[in-house]
Amino acid sequence: MKTVWNGAYFDGRSADRQPVRITVMSTGLRIMREDDTILWWPYEQIRQTQGFYAGEHVRLEKGRDTPEVLVVEDAAFLTAVQQLAPGARARFHTPTRRAMRIRLTLLAGLGVIVFGAALYLWGIPAFANAVASRIPVSWEEQLGRQVVEQLTAMSRRCTDPERLKVLDRIVSTLTAPSAPVPYTFRITVLADPTINALAAPGGHLVLFAGLLEKTKTPEQLAGVLAHEIQHVLQRHPTKALFRDMSMRALIAALTGDAGGLASALEAAGTLGGLRYSRKDEAAADRDGMTMLQAARIDPAGMIDVFLVLKKEAGDVPRALTYLSNHPHTDDRIADLRRMAAQARYTPVPLLPEYPWAEMGKICEVRTPQ
Amino acid sequence: MGIQGEGQREQQGVTVSGAAAAAAPPPVRHRSFHGSGGTLFGIFIVNLLLTIMTLGIYYFWGKTRIRNYVHSQMEFDGDRYAYHGTGRELFVGFLKVAVIFAALFGGRVLAETVWGFVGQIVFGVILYVFFLIVTPIVIVRSRAYRLSRTSWRGIRFSFRGAARHFVRVFVPGTLLTLITLGLYYPFFQNNIRRFLVNHSYYGATPFRYDGKGRDLFGSFLLTVVLSVLTVVVVSVVVTLMLPRLLMSGDVGWLWFILLLAAVFSVLLVVYWFWFSAYLQRYFFGHTSFATARFRSTVTGGRLLRLHLGNLLRLIFTLGLATPWVMVRNIRFAFGQVALEGPLDLAAIRQEAQAVSAAGEELGDFLGVDAYNIDLGL
Repeated sequence: MKTVWNGAYFDGRSADRQPVRITVMSTGLRIMREDDTILWWPYEQIRQTQGFYAGEHVRLEKGRDTPEVLVVEDAAFLTAVQQLAPGARARFHTPTRRAMRIRLTLLAGLGVIVFGAALYLWGIPAFANAVASRIPVSWEEQLGRQVVEQLTAMSRRCTDPERLKVLDRIVSTLTAPSAPVPYTFRITVLADPTINALAAPGGHLVLFAGLLEKTKTPEQLAGVLAHEIQHVLQRHPTKALFRDMSMRALIAALTGDAGGLASALEAAGTLGGLRYSRKDEAAADRDGMTMLQAARIDPAGMIDVFLVLKKEAGDVPRALTYLSNHPHTDDRIADLRRMAAQARYTPVPLLPEYPWAEMGKICEVRTPQ
Repeated sequence: MGIQGEGQREQQGVTVSGAAAAAAPPPVRHRSFHGSGGTLFGIFIVNLLLTIMTLGIYYFWGKTRIRNYVHSQMEFDGDRYAYHGTGRELFVGFLKVAVIFAALFGGRVLAETVWGFVGQIVFGVILYVFFLIVTPIVIVRSRAYRLSRTSWRGIRFSFRGAARHFVRVFVPGTLLTLITLGLYYPFFQNNIRRFLVNHSYYGATPFRYDGKGRDLFGSFLLTVVLSVLTVVVVSVVVTLMLPRLLMSGDVGWLWFILLLAAVFSVLLVVYWFWFSAYLQRYFFGHTSFATARFRSTVTGGRLLRLHLGNLLRLIFTLGLATPWVMVRNIRFAFGQVALEGPLDLAAIRQEAQAVSAAGEELGDFLGVDAYNIDLGL
C-alpha cells in the first residue's frame, strides 16, 4: 500500500497553491512542503469536505473559520488512510461504499413512490380531516365566501327576493328537526343552465338555475338540498379544500418551489379543491335521506331527482357536471330506495300552495344589486 | 477610468488575435465543470425521499448537498471550488422568513376583517411598498450569503455592499423604468450590475465593473423598435387579411394565422436572445479582477440553441432531465466566459465575512435568483 501521496496545500491565508508530499501515518498526516518544512495534521482535527463522489478530489480541512486545506486528487488516498489508520475510519469516506450508492439510490427512488403514495392516500386526508374538524365555524364561513365569490365572478347571481325566500323556507323546514345547527345556511343562485348544486364551507349552498328549471316539485329540490346540507354539516367541503391545499403544498415542497408554496396557500378556497370521496357522498346521501324523513318530506322526491339527473347525464353532455362528481348513481339510487321503503310516516306536502314551475324563472327577474 | 478600461481591453484583443506571433501570450483561463447529470440525479432522488419522509424539513439539507456537489465539480486553474453553507443555516433562515410571512398574512386577514374593502386596498399598497424595498435587500443578502460560503484555493468570496445602498439603486431605478415606459431599463440594469460586481470580493481583492448605461441604450432601443415594428406589421396584416380570409370560408386561413403567429414569436425570441447575449458580452467585457479582465463569447444563436435544447429535453422527459439541464447550463456558462491577462493569485489574501442565511431563503420566496449574477470566477 502506497503511503506517500502528492497533494496541494493551501494555508487559508493566501490563494497560493503549494505542492506537498503527504505521508499517511497511524495517528495523522505528515505533510512535507517543498521547502522541507513539515506540517502535522492529527486525524481528530481533520474534516473531509469533498471526495464523496466519483471524479471529485479528496478535500480535507483543518481549523475553524478560514481553515487550512489539503487536496489529494487520487481517491485511492482514502483507501490508504482506511488501512493504515483504522482508528480514523469514521472521519473519512470509504470509496468502496460508492458501489452501494447506486443500489441505495434505486431504493430511494422506490421509497419516494411508496412514501408518496402513502401520503397521498392516507397521510394528507388524515391531516386535512384533523385540521378541518377543529377550525372555528367563522373561518369556514370566510373560506366559503371566497368560493362563492369565485363562482359569482364567472356567472351572474340571481337575486329575485321572493323566490329566494321560498328556497330559504325549504332549508329551514329541513333543518328545523335537528336545530340548533352551528351553521347559517345561505343560498346563492347562479344564472347558469348547468344542472348542478354545490356546498361551500360554512353553510354556503350554491344552486345553478338549470337545476331549478329541471326539478318538478319542491320535494325534489329538498332532496338535493338535504344532500348538500349534510356535506356542510359533516364539513366535507372544508376537508376537501384542506386536502387540496396540503397536496399543493407538498408538491411545492418536494419540487423545491418556494414560490409554489406561497401560491398553494393562495389557492386555498379555490373550486378545483371541491372533490369528495365516495364515502363522503354515501354519508351525505344517507344522512340527507334521514334529514328528509325527520322533516316529514316525501323521500320519493330525492329519488326522483337522482333519476332526473341520471337521465340528463345520458342525454345532455352539459349536465354531466353534477353526476361526474357523484359516481355510481345506480347503487346510490338503490340505497336511497331501500331507506325510503323503511319509512313509516305520512309525508307532509312541501309548499302545497306554491306553483313550483314558477321557480325556474328565478333568473328572469333582474333586480338592481 | 472607463476609457482607460476600454483601451486596455482593445489592446488585449489585439494581443490575443496576434497570439501566434507573440512570444508569451497573456494567459487565458476558463472555468470547467466536471459534474455528471447522473450523479446529480441520484442526489435529487435521495433528497426527494428524505424530504418526503421529514415532511419537507430535509429540503434545506438537500439543497446544501446539491450545492456542495456542484461546487466541488467546478474547476478554475486546476483547482476545485468548495461550498461551505450548511442545511442548518438555511433552515434557520427559513424560520425567520416564515415568521415575516405569517405576520404579513395575519395583517392581511386583520385588515380585511376590520376595514373591509378599504383595508384590502390599503394593505395592497403597503404590501407593494414593502416588497419594493425588501426585494433589493434580499438580493444583497442572498448574494452575500452565497458568496461568503464559496471558496477557491481556501480563500472565501464575499459581498460587502450595504443593503440600504442597494435600496437607493433599486427603488428609484424601478420607478424610473416604470415612468419612462422602460426606456430607463438599460441604465437601471447597468447600475444593478455595477453595484453587484463592485462589492464582490475574492479574498481581499474586489471585482471591478466599468460599464456605462448609455453604451447599452442603442442596442436596447434597436431591440425595442424591432419588437414594436414586428407587432405593428403583424397586427396590420391580420386586420387587413382576416375579414377576407374569414369570408372565403376556407380552412386554409387557420394555417395562415398559425404560421404568422409562429414567425412572430420566433422573431421576437431572436431579437431578445440577441440583446441578452449582447448584454452578457458587455457586462463581462467591462468586468475585471485585479490585473485580468473577463471576456464573454456568447452569441444570441448559442443562447437560443442552449435554451431550445433545454426546453426539448425537459418536455420529452417530463422534467426528469432537470439535473442534466443544470449541468448543460453550467457547462455553457463556463465555456463562454474567460479570464484574460496576467494574474498573481499567490498575492491574494484571505478576508472572510460573516453573513446570515435569512436573505437567502427570502430570496427563494421572492424569486430573485436572476440577480444572483455569475461573476465569471
